[in-house]
Amino acid sequence: MTRVKRGYTARRRRKKIRLFASTFIGAHSRLTRATTQQRMRALVSSHLDRSRKKIYFRRLWITRINAVTREERVFYSYSKLIHNLYKRQLLLNRKILAQIALSNKNCFDMILNKIINKKIK
Amino acid sequence: MKFLAPIKSQQFISYQISTQHILCTSHSLPVQIGWEKRESMASAVGAIAALSTFSTAVRIPKPLLFPEHRPPHSFPSNCSSTYCNSPFLSIHPLPPPSPPLGRKWKPLAVALEDAPPVEDTPEPEPVEVQIEAAVATANSKGEDVFAVVMIGSRQYIVIPGRFIYTQRLKGANVNDKVILNKVLLVGTKNKAYIGQPVVTSAAVHAVVEEQGLNKKVIVFKYKRKKNYRRNIGHRQPNTRIRITGITGYEDYPADMLPEPEAVAA
Repeated sequence: MTRVKRGYTARRRRKKIRLFASTFIGAHSRLTRATTQQRMRALVSSHLDRSRKKIYFRRLWITRINAVTREERVFYSYSKLIHNLYKRQLLLNRKILAQIALSNKNCFDMILNKIINKKIK
Repeated sequence: MKFLAPIKSQQFISYQISTQHILCTSHSLPVQIGWEKRESMASAVGAIAALSTFSTAVRIPKPLLFPEHRPPHSFPSNCSSTYCNSPFLSIHPLPPPSPPLGRKWKPLAVALEDAPPVEDTPEPEPVEVQIEAAVATANSKGEDVFAVVMIGSRQYIVIPGRFIYTQRLKGANVNDKVILNKVLLVGTKNKAYIGQPVVTSAAVHAVVEEQGLNKKVIVFKYKRKKNYRRNIGHRQPNTRIRITGITGYEDYPADMLPEPEAVAA
């Protein structure tokens, strides 16, 4: 085989990795070995967190809905709301409910009334 | 008495006018009395007679349960808040979108695999469709209406004049008109039409703007000390839909919102 120098191949590869980790703190953005490792960890975290993101947001919506349902109604809570929601055959999901509770409180009150009042009958 | 919870996990695409198609999704669920009433109403409404039997719900499996809108990293709750950011009552009407170049109505059979090809162009359909289209343009921009629509098992808050990114709608070409039947809630200034579970004969008219791809996501799999690394890029196909109007909800029983004076008092 003819002689092959390694030239710039490694540098080009590492440049991309360094760009990815350019905002990391300290040695993690400066030293090549550390940057490659940190880049791997970062990508793994982002992959895992994509699934977790869905969980976090669902938790947030539930908390918000809970807070709003408990505001003016004694003895009413998120769990009862969801139970009655399914009983009244509403298909709205938590994301929409939370968003409506945030932006259009009147509408949310109407939904609540619809869910609660029929139960009394 | 069973609940309707399982409907969330079903994913389908409904382009069609007839409300019979929405009811297809309830096929696997225990049919309740309320559903049957609605079904008879729907068939009376005049949907295509020859249309699907109860068993032709199409399920196109897609992994994601939650939408990712562009800008992709602003998540649904943030993004839908950009749609209804300022209070609902002060929406500025956006300039009307340029009229679609060709009004191509997708054949009904696109989403159904086993519907016979005869249904592609039934005669009564164009008339019905044009009437609805006329109504849609009359009702569209400038109104303080919003609707909650379910597309591909995700729910979106939808305002005429704005666009949303949904999962890729197969068979939809650019500038195709699409009618979304699964309207769960319609809200106007003083009224809310809460669907149980669907606001019957309500339809959201939309135009397919673009069939694109989401931003690239790097799926990096790594096991330490085992020399295992996989670097995979992924772009999820999506469809951008511009909402032109919300129609057909007036006949549904509405809940009146309290008057502002009463609320203040």
